[in-house]
Amino acid sequence: MSNFEPKIIAFVCNWCTYAGADLAGTSRIKYAPNVRIVRFPCTGRIDFMLLLKALQTGADGIIVSGCHPADCHYTAGNYHARRRWIIFKSLLDFVGFDTGRITFSWVSAAEGAKWAQIVNETVDKIRDLGPYTDYSNLNKLGVGTITEVLNARTA
Amino acid sequence: MSRIGVFICHCGENIGGTVDCEKVAETAAKYPGVAYSVDYKYMCSDPGQNMIKDAIKEHKLTGVVVAACSPRMHEPTFRKAVSEAGINPFLCEMANLREHCSWVHLKDDSTTEKAEELVKVLVEKVKRNQPLEPIKVPVTKTALVLGGGIAGIQAALDIANSGHKVIMIEKSPSIGGHMSQLSETFPTLDCSQCILTPRMVEVAQHPNITLYTYAELVGLDGFIGNFQASIKLKAKSIDHDICNGCGDCIAKCPIKKIPDEFNAGLGTRTAVYVPFPQAVPNKPVIDRENCTYFTRDGKCGLCAKVCTKGAIDYSQKDEIITIDVGAVVVATGFDIKGTDFFPEYGYGRYKDVITGLQFERLASASGPTLGEIKRPSDGKVPQNIVFIACAGSRDPAKGIEYCSKICCMYTAKHAMLYKHKVHQGKASVFYMDIRAGGKMYEEFVRRAIEEDDVNYIRGRVSRIYEKNGKLIVKGVDTLLDAYPVEIEADMVVLATAGIANEGSEELAQSLHISYDQHNFFAEAHPKLKPVETNTAGIMLAGACQSPKDIPDSVSQASGAAVKVAALFSKDELTRDPLIAYVNRCGPPTYSTCVGCFLCVSVCPYLAIEKEQIKDRNGNLIKEVAKINPGLCQGCGTCVALCRSKSIDIYGYSHSQVFAEVMALFNERSLENV
Amino acid sequence: MQELHNKIKSILENGSASLFIAYQKSREGKITPTFITKPEQSQKAYFGDDCKQNLAVYIHKQEVKNFGKVGIFANIYTLKSLLQIYAENQIRDDYLKVVTINPNGAIVEFANFMEIENYVNENKPAPNPEDMERVEKLSNLSREERWDYWLNELSTCIKCYACRAACPMCYCTKCTVDCNQPQWISTPSHSLGNIEWHIMRAMHLAGRCVECNECARVCPMDIPLNLLTVKLNDTANIEFGQQAGLKGELDYALSTFKVDDKENFIR
Repeated sequence: MSNFEPKIIAFVCNWCTYAGADLAGTSRIKYAPNVRIVRFPCTGRIDFMLLLKALQTGADGIIVSGCHPADCHYTAGNYHARRRWIIFKSLLDFVGFDTGRITFSWVSAAEGAKWAQIVNETVDKIRDLGPYTDYSNLNKLGVGTITEVLNARTA
Repeated sequence: MSRIGVFICHCGENIGGTVDCEKVAETAAKYPGVAYSVDYKYMCSDPGQNMIKDAIKEHKLTGVVVAACSPRMHEPTFRKAVSEAGINPFLCEMANLREHCSWVHLKDDSTTEKAEELVKVLVEKVKRNQPLEPIKVPVTKTALVLGGGIAGIQAALDIANSGHKVIMIEKSPSIGGHMSQLSETFPTLDCSQCILTPRMVEVAQHPNITLYTYAELVGLDGFIGNFQASIKLKAKSIDHDICNGCGDCIAKCPIKKIPDEFNAGLGTRTAVYVPFPQAVPNKPVIDRENCTYFTRDGKCGLCAKVCTKGAIDYSQKDEIITIDVGAVVVATGFDIKGTDFFPEYGYGRYKDVITGLQFERLASASGPTLGEIKRPSDGKVPQNIVFIACAGSRDPAKGIEYCSKICCMYTAKHAMLYKHKVHQGKASVFYMDIRAGGKMYEEFVRRAIEEDDVNYIRGRVSRIYEKNGKLIVKGVDTLLDAYPVEIEADMVVLATAGIANEGSEELAQSLHISYDQHNFFAEAHPKLKPVETNTAGIMLAGACQSPKDIPDSVSQASGAAVKVAALFSKDELTRDPLIAYVNRCGPPTYSTCVGCFLCVSVCPYLAIEKEQIKDRNGNLIKEVAKINPGLCQGCGTCVALCRSKSIDIYGYSHSQVFAEVMALFNERSLENV
Repeated sequence: MQELHNKIKSILENGSASLFIAYQKSREGKITPTFITKPEQSQKAYFGDDCKQNLAVYIHKQEVKNFGKVGIFANIYTLKSLLQIYAENQIRDDYLKVVTINPNGAIVEFANFMEIENYVNENKPAPNPEDMERVEKLSNLSREERWDYWLNELSTCIKCYACRAACPMCYCTKCTVDCNQPQWISTPSHSLGNIEWHIMRAMHLAGRCVECNECARVCPMDIPLNLLTVKLNDTANIEFGQQAGLKGELDYALSTFKVDDKENFIR
């Protein structure tokens, strides 16, 4: 477990968090290399299915980040995203996903240091939690035939 | 099959010092679909760019990933380079190896590994990029100017003089705005009307300007270059085509006691009226709220009887007209707080406590006193006058934190005008700071103090009350160690705060532009876009954005006019093509959109419309969503909301982002497409 | 019952509808939908507490649409569904004749959706206490226990899509699960693909599900699917004060927002 390096995917908006991460770079703020940024125009564009896909392909943690309320480049995309996250998180919690592995955050174009901090804290947290295989391992299980499943149920 | 070229930049030591670029290039060469992969010291240099161009031709590349600095830095550079080599600029993507990798991590295998994965993700994306063309939209070369004050007038004249049509609408019966109410202007003391009225006439006579007074904007649809404005023309009750402006109706009107807006309530006017003698147009309107004919069911009718031209038309109705315009200049001006806003200064109860605007009318040769300074209560000339600057402004307790900007200067002007007219009189000014930034402004204030002997007292007035026919002004002089000051004044002038017009919030909403917490309209950027709004094609001019003096208003108006003229200099606008669209497919489905229209309200730009798909005979087959490419800004909020994934977006398409996410931690999903 | 037969007969006779959708009861006591096109068949219609199916689902069928004006006998959940799909622009007021039986046993014929809205709000069914209790119970389990519970349930899904077919809110021409460019959801009925499918289904129904529980009733594997949407409806109601199937005007939590929506989970 000590060698475990968490794999983190970050879904970020182009205008605030992507630029904030750029600022962390120009400011030479060092942070954990475990994160991979995927760029979106706006948090409003981030499809909840992509978060599931990330967990399926083996992400141990996810960061979703965009503009602070009232700062959205498109005026309201982040507000719509926030509602979706509330519903989606409620569902994942109910089904038993470990939503502690998903960090939702607002990072502005001026918050390079906050970005570095969000990444470091997420990496530390996931490192403590260990790899997330509850969901991705299901991919490796064989496909049960209907008969098998039915037998399992009646048994 | 894709043939992707990958170009890894060392950025000197910036990337190369931390990331093993050679290894990244080697790894990238093995990704499915990568036809060429190379690393180089400086990709953005001329030889670097030529390397990309040559490789595109030599290896017949169908897409390019440049792994270098942030795309926010050099994406335009490399997109231009690939287009020079003959492939569509949108087939080039950048992996951010500098800001997001080498600059934030230590030299380590894990950093190189991250660089490889960032490249892998972008390779997967670019395989699915589509060639895109900038969107072209036609431009209606007519500007709408809202407001006929000095800012609106300047903007309208500048646009009209550059050869474009202008529609100006003004809500009151005459253009001229607040400037027409002013007596003389700082810092030159030239007469306001003398410099303004020629401009007003020019507007009325300009062949490129159509003027609608007594008119209001009721709605604005559309987008930059293609707006549709709905304008309400209020019934004037007088046919201006027939009326010759003789004024007989005004002379005969029996309703004479209406507080006169032009004189800031200090005089009265009739129900049929021209706001002021130099009004443009100089023809009267009937104020239906006060006219007996309208309030008492057809009684009176005197004006119709005296009008020899038969121009009076009581049956006129409000009319709504729709006009296509390509740009809008919002120049709706501002208002000021009334004396009733100040409990400590008598809540507006004392007749001789007046606002700065009222003083302007007293000092004006065309005002109710013909320019003599007489106090409203008894018409006596005040011998001791007090001016209070920052009445309301810079006072968080009153909810107005900002500086109203014009008061320091006009208060100095008022004190000076008073001293010029009442030589033996005493003038005092209470001020917080003197803000006289501007050409010849400081000199002007010094003149008031030094040559005209105006008594400037630094301190605030805590109370005003009446005693024995005098107004007792109690304040402190903070320069004299907070020494209490008490002045027995005959008249007090409050430089009340400049505020947003009533109804500006609703106007901003109908224009879809932003406004600040004080309801002043918001510029797109406080420094670099001070005349644009965040809605493309709508500009701001004058005090509707924040309180401004005349030179600032005029400068901003000319700035707005140039923005409009630049927009009108082309027949078509080109826009970024990274926008959303609703899919289309063959019959019988036509589109997978089912027309639930849940997406309509998520669009911040009102870009989603209903579209009817009809058969050849015009029968409705299906109603689906349609995204107006002129309005869509490409946020993609509708894309993620649509249940059936019927909406997609160029540049961040379902297949692109899906492939990026799937590729990241999962080698198996890589395939060449 | 006679009254209902007469009502259907008169609707078909006077041309307010050329097809009437109702329940019928077989000799074995089985309740099935019936599609009445002739006035004389009106006595086939049946109504009782055992009529649970949500008939609104048929409104989307092309075979039904071909009839033009259609009549439908609706229980309270069907009414809610009709109202919701009306708000979602899927039916036109003048093409539907809706009939129900009110709690006093009287026939009610609605002139328009405004009347349906009023009726639904006056006769709003309370949330099913049994479902609420199960949701509550699951919510109180540990995360791992919940995961085991749902993994156990959802792994049995055979992806027959009966839940989708029975749901009046699942009316998309092309469901995302049928999309293969990209393949959003794994097609085989293995656990991961099943969970993906049911998560997506629940997300798409959050704030739109009228809680008729048809999905759970039709599931051949007896998966309590309705609990997922009941849970999300509860979230939408608590967080945004929005409930499905009560308004003829679109009221959907996810296509609007408030500036002060909850954000204590965002850093």
